[in-house]
Amino acid sequence: MNVTVSPAPIISPASSQSQKVGSAASCPVGMLTLFAGAILWLLCASLLGLTTSLNFHAPTLLAGHGYLSYGRVHAAQNAALLYGFGVPSALGLGLWLLCRLGRTTLAGPAIVFIGAIFWNTAVTLGVGAILCGGGTGFEGFEMPAWCAPILFLSYLMIGLCALLTFHQREPGPLYPSQWFVVGSLFWFPWIFSTAALLLLCVPARGVLQATTAWWYARNFDTVFLGFAGLASAFYFIPKILGRPLHSHYQAALAFWTLALFGSWGGMPDGAPLPSWIISLGVVGTVLMAVPILTVATNFYQTVREDLNTLDADPTLRFTYVGLFFWVIAGAQQIVGALPPVSVVTDFTWFGPAQKELFRYGFFAFTVFGAIYYIVPRLLDLDQSAWHPKLFKWHFYLTFFGVLISYISLLVAGIGQGILLANTGNSFVDVMRRTVLPVRSIITGDLLVALGTILFLINFASVLATACRRCCAERKESA
Amino acid sequence: MNSGPLLFLGLFATMACSWTGFVLAPQLQLGGLAQTNTVVVGDVLPQTYPLAQPGEAHAGSEVYRANGCAACHTEMVRPLDLGSDIQRSWGVRRSLAEDYLFANPVMLGSQRIGPDLANFGQRTDTNGVYLRLYDPGLITHGSVMPPYRFLFETRKIGFFPSPDALVLPDRDAPPAGFEIIPTEKARALAAYLLSLRQDGYLFEAPPPPLAKTNAIATNAVPAVKPAAK
Repeated sequence: MNVTVSPAPIISPASSQSQKVGSAASCPVGMLTLFAGAILWLLCASLLGLTTSLNFHAPTLLAGHGYLSYGRVHAAQNAALLYGFGVPSALGLGLWLLCRLGRTTLAGPAIVFIGAIFWNTAVTLGVGAILCGGGTGFEGFEMPAWCAPILFLSYLMIGLCALLTFHQREPGPLYPSQWFVVGSLFWFPWIFSTAALLLLCVPARGVLQATTAWWYARNFDTVFLGFAGLASAFYFIPKILGRPLHSHYQAALAFWTLALFGSWGGMPDGAPLPSWIISLGVVGTVLMAVPILTVATNFYQTVREDLNTLDADPTLRFTYVGLFFWVIAGAQQIVGALPPVSVVTDFTWFGPAQKELFRYGFFAFTVFGAIYYIVPRLLDLDQSAWHPKLFKWHFYLTFFGVLISYISLLVAGIGQGILLANTGNSFVDVMRRTVLPVRSIITGDLLVALGTILFLINFASVLATACRRCCAERKESA
Repeated sequence: MNSGPLLFLGLFATMACSWTGFVLAPQLQLGGLAQTNTVVVGDVLPQTYPLAQPGEAHAGSEVYRANGCAACHTEMVRPLDLGSDIQRSWGVRRSLAEDYLFANPVMLGSQRIGPDLANFGQRTDTNGVYLRLYDPGLITHGSVMPPYRFLFETRKIGFFPSPDALVLPDRDAPPAGFEIIPTEKARALAAYLLSLRQDGYLFEAPPPPLAKTNAIATNAVPAVKPAAK
């Protein structure tokens, strides 16, 4: 590996304190649109998730309406979460980190704004189309064929601005967060175009569609979302604690091994494929232990003297809890890929449990943390603009919501797997016996949805404060 | 690692690794897959496998896609030593790449909230599909599947009752003078589900070897043990 990190005294985020990037003067509308859209879509995904959970309580309730049937709402929820929340928040986070760490301003803010509008319009149309029966049938790549090019082009608009912002950075060493942001922004267009081409434009032959869809879904989660979330953690934890990151070498090791091994796998054992593909996937997934352990030790070494102050700051609290969930989700992925385990847990709720923890527990949490830090600074306000009570409730509701959903899904998954392994249990009997934990997911969904509503209110009140102040200043100058 | 171009080059290389391994190489190995012949089983001669999907079945696969059926149903049977798929008589052999040659889109699914459907066509008939879609609890007591009533139409019985009308027990029976008939979508979906059968024994998945016995050979069909559900 061509890692050329110069040793220790590299810039730490703590040193770029006085820099004011993307203040009101440089028009942060693009980034704010990305974040606002992301939060609205997260709420939308939570509500769609509630609808799917409702199916396990009263399957006949929504039976008369095609657009509310389980399969469609499930696909729409996935699309809203991944494309409505995931991509825009990763982009907004990435753009801000590139500005801040490169000590520069955003290149082409107008293009970012237009791109964000196009992206959100495309997601709205796409999710609507999925509810009307236009989904592709591929998990993780649900957006209909006509929607994919719009998404791709609007991503390119924003991605290009990110690239220019990165290019015009002040010369100097790169901080790990910059690698992670660049990696995540670079990864998405490649996997997305591959999937769009091989699944929608020129559909691959037979089972190759399935391998492409699995490969895409794995890369989207582990590498794209993973890099974006870690970029945020690598910036905010050292920054707010005011101490340098323990080791840049370890960060580089984690970065390259995650890029290399995180992008392998995703195929269930026993899939109708040549077995080398599945084995290679298992090897890659197990080797994910390297980046997980490296990141975990690196952060532990960084924060070990501040363990009691980790709760002090909203950003810090969300970020370290998110990081903790990342380690658990990664460990579960590794254990679940081992053949003796996967034979039991494949095709059960075990997989969705891991995804829930990764997407909500890790990614959404790091994004929340980042938004609590970034948005006041974009608007020239300070941290106190956030309502502390709303923050507190947001944290506890989402934390316990995610935890309840995760544990219920995990229990349901393991139970299902063990019961199904015994051929004496009929399939429907197993489903009936494991429906109780599946039903309790609705509690978790409800808590997460409530938390997101509080977050949205808090976000709106910060925007309103900024608007009021802006108006007052204008009156004064008039 | 402080140079932008070097960072991009490294990312490109790692990405290319994954792309070559999981997109390009499978394409090279399986992209040219063609119809093949089944292996000889007893006195059954080799047959072309798989056969192309009938038009109505393809239309049905679009209904399957549109309603996200793959969210709860897989379409792949794992080998005998992996899981209990074959013991649950979801298939006689493991699924192979050849089985999906004519499917588009290929919806293998990732979760089983309902049973595997790779060989659903062998387990039921048209009426069975309709009843399961209209009221899943009718055939499988305790099913968690939601009903898909929007695929059916309740209409007034005309001069003659429709031959397609669903025969339903009291709990689902339509009001007097009305009948429930499947829409075009339900018909297509049924055609698709009934076309799902991976029954050709191929070179990669030969029939299970017959047990060697000293019994005198007969022409009688061996008694099949009833499979566990």
